[in-house]
Amino acid sequence: MAKGNIIHATDRNGVTVARICAEAILNETQVHAFGQALLALADVPGRRVILNFLGLQHLTSLALGELIRLHKRLAESGGELCLADIDPRIYELFSITRLDRLFRIFDREEEAVAALLAEGRAGA
Amino acid sequence: MPHSLPKEGRGPSVPSHPTETHDAAGWTEEVLPTRLTAIRESERKVLARLAALGYGEDHCFAVRLAFEEALINAMKHGNRMEESRQVRLAYRVSPECVEIRVADEGAGFRPDCVPDPTVDENLQRPCGRGVMLMRSYMDEVNYSANGTEVHMVKYRANPVRGFPESGRR
Repeated sequence: MAKGNIIHATDRNGVTVARICAEAILNETQVHAFGQALLALADVPGRRVILNFLGLQHLTSLALGELIRLHKRLAESGGELCLADIDPRIYELFSITRLDRLFRIFDREEEAVAALLAEGRAGA
Repeated sequence: MPHSLPKEGRGPSVPSHPTETHDAAGWTEEVLPTRLTAIRESERKVLARLAALGYGEDHCFAVRLAFEEALINAMKHGNRMEESRQVRLAYRVSPECVEIRVADEGAGFRPDCVPDPTVDENLQRPCGRGVMLMRSYMDEVNYSANGTEVHMVKYRANPVRGFPESGRR
């Protein structure tokens, strides 16, 4: 499990599903905790992570920066970061900044899990 | 500009907590220390005024985001997190619009020279999206000539991105 309470991570047959346990990631404390928890997810090289945004209603560009850092760390080790269950208002932030091109985004967590598990089987 | 924040010196006069004044034109002015946690209380007061005037969730979302980004920029990039520097904040909430001014004591910058964060070569940079988000969610975003002060306006009648029904009330 990731460190801290802002993210709760579980394993789904080799895929890490990390749920964000916050309504907002705005202030310095929240962003720092978020960044630390995300970096902990990259401790395992090659890890495939699905970050579930369900319930998250507000974030700022600082939090987007932390997501980019995790994406890069995972990609460098052969892993992958996927996002799922993003509120439409939050999704708009990804669209405006064109980060929807950088991140692999699924409507629902289950779709992301199914896709990564299928890819894992195909690559085995 | 209809309202400009007064210039004040640095040093011992910087308050450890936000200070607040009001003027006859409806502006509330606050002097904040350069500390990201100082943003919370001011944000709470601005959003409470929006709620009291019946602004919807859409406009609250937009103003909250732009407010956060403007103050984060002022403290991190303007004042470079030096607590000896202050941030001057002014806001006015009317039934028609929300106006926010934020001024820092940094060296300033040229907003038109901020690299476009949406082009491929900048997409993986973790910083540089605040100004773009402010422009996306507010109707007017104007900087002073030296870039140390920003004035933002969100009109109630105008829609908010990501909220299909917004601005129609």
